[in-house]
Amino acid sequence: MSGLAGQLAIMHETLGSLALAAGDAAHAQPRFGTGVGAKFDVPRLFGLIPFIPLLACALCGLCAAMKVKTKLPAAITVGCLLASFGLTIGLYAQVHANPGDFAIIHAFEWINFQWGQSEAQSLTANFSFYADSLTALWMLFVTGLATLIALYASEYMSHDVGQGYCRFFMAFSLFVFSMACLVMGDNLALLFLGWEGVGLCSYLLIGYFYKKPSAVAAAKKAFVVNRIGDLGLSLGVMLAFVQFGSLEYAEIFRKAEPFLALARDGQWQDIPWTVQLIPILLTIGAFGKSAQLPLYVWLPDAMEGPTPVSALIHAATMVTAGVYLVARMFPLFLVSEHALTIVAWGGALTALLAATIGMAQFDIKRIMAYSTVSQLGYMFCGLGVMGVMGGPAHVFTHAFFKAMLFLACGAVMHGFAGQLDLRKLSGLGKMPGWRIVTVAMFVGCINLAGVPFITAGFYSKDTILGDAFANPAMVPIGWILLITAGLTAYYTFRVFFRVFVGPAYYEPGDELHAHDDHSHDHAHANKDHGHDSHGHGHSAWQPHPPGWAINTVLILLTILSFAAIVTVFKADGWLYRMVTNSSAGAGIAADHHHKFFGFDAHAAMKVVSGIVAIAGIAVAFVLHYSGRTSAATSKADSLVPMLGPIPRWAQNKWYVDEFYHFLFVRPLWLLSVVFAAIDKVLVDGLVNVFGWVPKALAKTARPLQNGVLHDYALRMAGGVALLLLIIVLMVNRGDRTSAAASIPPTDNSIGTLPAAPAAVDPIAVSLDPIRAKAQEAVR
Amino acid sequence: MNWMLLLLLLPLAGAALVAFMPEKSARQVATLVTLLCCVPFLAMVGQFDWARSGVDQFQTTAVWFEPLGLSFRLAADSITMLLVGLTVLLGPICVVASYTAISERQKTYYAWLLVLQTAMTGVFLARDMVLFYVFFEFTLVPMFVLISLYGSTNRKYAAVKFFLYTFTGSILTLAGLAYVALEAARANGFWSFDFEALKTAARGMTFDQQKWVFIALMVGFAVKVPVFPFHTWLPLAHTEAPTAGSVVLAGVLLKLGTYGIFRFALQFTPVAAYEYAPALAVLGVVGIIYAGLICWVQSDIKKLVAYSSVSHLGFCVIGLFALNGVGLSGSVMYMINHGLSTGALFLLIGMIYERYHTREFKKLGGLASQMPVWSTFMVFFAMASVGLPGLNGFISEFMCLLGTFQAGGTTWTEFGMIPGRFGDASLLPGATFGNLGPWFAAFAAVGMVVTAIYILYMVGKIVWGEFKAPGHSAHAHNHAKGHGHDNHHGAAHADHAHGPLPRDLSGREIAVLVPLAVACLWLGLYPSPVLRTLEEPVAMVVTQVRADVLRNAQAALPADPQTADAHTPALLQQAATITEPGRR
Repeated sequence: MSGLAGQLAIMHETLGSLALAAGDAAHAQPRFGTGVGAKFDVPRLFGLIPFIPLLACALCGLCAAMKVKTKLPAAITVGCLLASFGLTIGLYAQVHANPGDFAIIHAFEWINFQWGQSEAQSLTANFSFYADSLTALWMLFVTGLATLIALYASEYMSHDVGQGYCRFFMAFSLFVFSMACLVMGDNLALLFLGWEGVGLCSYLLIGYFYKKPSAVAAAKKAFVVNRIGDLGLSLGVMLAFVQFGSLEYAEIFRKAEPFLALARDGQWQDIPWTVQLIPILLTIGAFGKSAQLPLYVWLPDAMEGPTPVSALIHAATMVTAGVYLVARMFPLFLVSEHALTIVAWGGALTALLAATIGMAQFDIKRIMAYSTVSQLGYMFCGLGVMGVMGGPAHVFTHAFFKAMLFLACGAVMHGFAGQLDLRKLSGLGKMPGWRIVTVAMFVGCINLAGVPFITAGFYSKDTILGDAFANPAMVPIGWILLITAGLTAYYTFRVFFRVFVGPAYYEPGDELHAHDDHSHDHAHANKDHGHDSHGHGHSAWQPHPPGWAINTVLILLTILSFAAIVTVFKADGWLYRMVTNSSAGAGIAADHHHKFFGFDAHAAMKVVSGIVAIAGIAVAFVLHYSGRTSAATSKADSLVPMLGPIPRWAQNKWYVDEFYHFLFVRPLWLLSVVFAAIDKVLVDGLVNVFGWVPKALAKTARPLQNGVLHDYALRMAGGVALLLLIIVLMVNRGDRTSAAASIPPTDNSIGTLPAAPAAVDPIAVSLDPIRAKAQEAVR
Repeated sequence: MNWMLLLLLLPLAGAALVAFMPEKSARQVATLVTLLCCVPFLAMVGQFDWARSGVDQFQTTAVWFEPLGLSFRLAADSITMLLVGLTVLLGPICVVASYTAISERQKTYYAWLLVLQTAMTGVFLARDMVLFYVFFEFTLVPMFVLISLYGSTNRKYAAVKFFLYTFTGSILTLAGLAYVALEAARANGFWSFDFEALKTAARGMTFDQQKWVFIALMVGFAVKVPVFPFHTWLPLAHTEAPTAGSVVLAGVLLKLGTYGIFRFALQFTPVAAYEYAPALAVLGVVGIIYAGLICWVQSDIKKLVAYSSVSHLGFCVIGLFALNGVGLSGSVMYMINHGLSTGALFLLIGMIYERYHTREFKKLGGLASQMPVWSTFMVFFAMASVGLPGLNGFISEFMCLLGTFQAGGTTWTEFGMIPGRFGDASLLPGATFGNLGPWFAAFAAVGMVVTAIYILYMVGKIVWGEFKAPGHSAHAHNHAKGHGHDNHHGAAHADHAHGPLPRDLSGREIAVLVPLAVACLWLGLYPSPVLRTLEEPVAMVVTQVRADVLRNAQAALPADPQTADAHTPALLQQAATITEPGRR
């Protein structure tokens, strides 16, 4: 181990100096402005990228209506997503050929109207797509990973063929459509459409096993917590519209230009507070969707959904929407004095908190969920400390290895009847058929832990750490992230050392019994599946290793995780160009060169974070691998009592859920009950008090309610006639007496009207015949 | 051929026909007539000059009672067209949805339903104040009959309360309108109840007069909408009404209130509407949150949806009182969208009630496993109700909020909500003329979260989870006690004369829901054509309101500078910076 570390250290020296040189080259030519170049044209064909998944959704819906009992929906989805991915590559080629510029692809009108001639009197938000390198970057991994994960899901969900299979792939395709709208939309309203659309799909997919109360509760929680974020986002969108007169990015960026110049000179007082408020409101939305403090609580619960969903939506793509929003709107974040600081601190605290919770969990999927929350925190820090590349780069690399980690966990869950407890699984690598899963898990773990030089995760995380330490205002954040890096390495390898190596042991999960939870009616149909356990005794149960689809996807993702190194290896590599050639490139103006104990921060971090990661893994090795003889216990257990109640608190997620429940949910519920009571007693009671006269009248008039139509009609007509008569009489009296008393005593309601002016002569003349008739009628 | 007159009278003729036909063919006739109504409507759509959508078209006038200037005056602008379209769409849906629910006294039922359609169409088409009022009040009668004869347990009380409450409110409205007519007669020297004539006269009134007229108008319309705190009749009426009654009530009858506000309160008394906009908006916002939270603790599904109407229409009201283009258009869209999505929710709940004879959350659950088609529709319309972008609800909700956000913001300083530099609304370059502001939008937007809470609570309880229904599965032990709801009161209930309903939706029920779903999707994804038709009428209202408010403010300024409103200079400045809107 030490030999390896020594070699790595030498490697680091050379690579570090390389990176330093490259970094300096980039620093030498800062670009100012919003980072938005000229507009170029692309074929309208690329506007189909979001709509092909929508077509898949419609076709899967058709399958559901036709009660298709094959894997057809999966085939449709994979095919459509692949087509979408192909088009995305085409779009990337177009964007690549026009670095720094953007294209707008108009699909059709959505909200577009004008009620006046001036610019402020129109509202335009079309189904138009904004294509620049940031869009392309996101779409590449969204559509690419979606295709792979759909393929994986075709096998993973095979229990449900003929039941929820169509529903699953419908929601899956709809998710890709929504995500594409979110990422590609050329205006904030379309972004919001995608934003809520992915929220809906997340809701539907978390609650996929809808008979489980926990799944239903988790789905609801995810939607509602996200809605709180969306509240902030929608207010931000509105404020942006009122401030800049448009919802379209191009226009907003153009109008933000003067503020950007002020911000660069530090003249914050000259930038209106309303402008500075916009990014802060957007941050609320971003923190909701990307599960950051204080709105992160929904994501761990979201693991109730099927694992492919966790991999795609709750690890790789949807949860990065918040990061995308910040990166896309980066010019606006730069014109706010405090917005990026909020982003950075929110991210840093979330990263640390989630890591501490992750350390104490036993459910491996939950651990991965908390690690996602934690890594998302890193991404926000990357943007918040005004480093440009770190955030999006970490999104990109994280998407691959985290999706892979989840899919590996999913394979375990699938094979061991839902077992996810790391105390009940051990030494999977030694069992037949689990080699690929183990390798994939290992590659995912080293990426997540940030093993130096050989993993993409190391480079992207390192960029964020370097950026944090380079910014003099953000050094505390750097330290928090560094500590978190150590914790991450520990809990990641805790999973690996417990589950995949060591003595071979397993206990099947509770889906042995609960499996038919979602196949109530078709319990017998399940017997057709060879891998199903119904009718077998507990002792005869065998884990079933993953099949070709799962293995293929895992192999591809392993390769991609390594391949991602190419994109982040150099500080001004492919990813750097992808990010800086877009609106997020505005941040380059704010490069910092704070030193880390006298060394260049980026170079120093290459060593320090590497050491921290190795140290974390080493601790995990000692505590959870060396000398472990059973699945249930390890050396770490003996340390737990020394830490007092802290491990228990961490295991209980620091009681944040309980705290929220006590502080928000309960009072709101009580308030609702009080409102309901007020409504019944006070509001309605008052009405009843006012209504006692008519009610009494109604009682006496009850015999009149005989249900005979013409009676009602007659009385109705009579009523109208009476009212007309009252008007006439009123006019009459007003004419006869003075102007002040134009009120017939029969109807006090009219008495609240102001007195009519005295000049009534013309009416009196014209009314004479009526008055005569009316008086006649009265007599 | 006067299609408009045909559209108005066809349902009435149908009602007469139903009355003379045998009991068994009543529903066929009603279906045929309501479907036939589409013909004149589509003909109107074809003939309507959409380039002049703000102008009253198809003007039809027949002198009714000359000495009083009463005339039978009908016309349509684009807003009328939209709302009539909604009425025509819901007509056949209500009839077809009642096939199995109504098995006794069918003739009476369908005849009144058809009469109701004429009354509703008439309200929107009328251009004579008395005619409007006659139609407006006449909607109460069929509704009263539908509730009191075909409703649930407490139907008599609900019907009487519905009738008396709204009727009392509208008497005040009538008083206000009568006063305006009186003013017009004084000014002109002859009687006329024509909208345009009344509007001219009303706009010429002093602020003091306008104030009282506005209040009188608003009392009636606020009860009808209903605006908090005048809403208590609505949950009761909804819960007791038969399904079709609820659909019409939510779909069209509530819109009479918002339509009235748009047509009269805003256009007749613009200065008062401007001045009292904050007060009304506060009621709207309170209604959104208050009624939304009440939804959350309901035990009856239908009551939840009923309260959600109160909450939703709060958005509609603040949109109206934003008094700018986005807000008003959003509000008109809201009238349509709420009719579609809430109407559909009532239909869905009715379908459940027909099957399980209960609407209680306690007794129902997990219907997704038994009724996948129903559940799909339920989730779809629930999401439309939540305001999910891509479906209709979002467009209108977003626009109402955006309009409110934009609308001036003079109240910031007036109410002293936020001191110092945070109070200066003129910092917002995109702010339009208006008397609300970001704070109203911010508080109203909390409704987004509340809506999500109660709608997902509803969906989570009845769609997801383990299957549970009275008389089904092992969970039916409560059933043995017999549930109070099963006192059908004879007529109120289906006796399954037409055969038992299938477990999931029948083809007929799907056919009822599909048009609504299509409309929701269409208005959610491609509302532009509809929004375009609103441009002109909305621009006209905005222009009128601004002109009047400005004139009023200018008149007040030199007369007595010391007592002039504190915010008048700011208002003048604000109005001056905004260019005169006009047609494109």
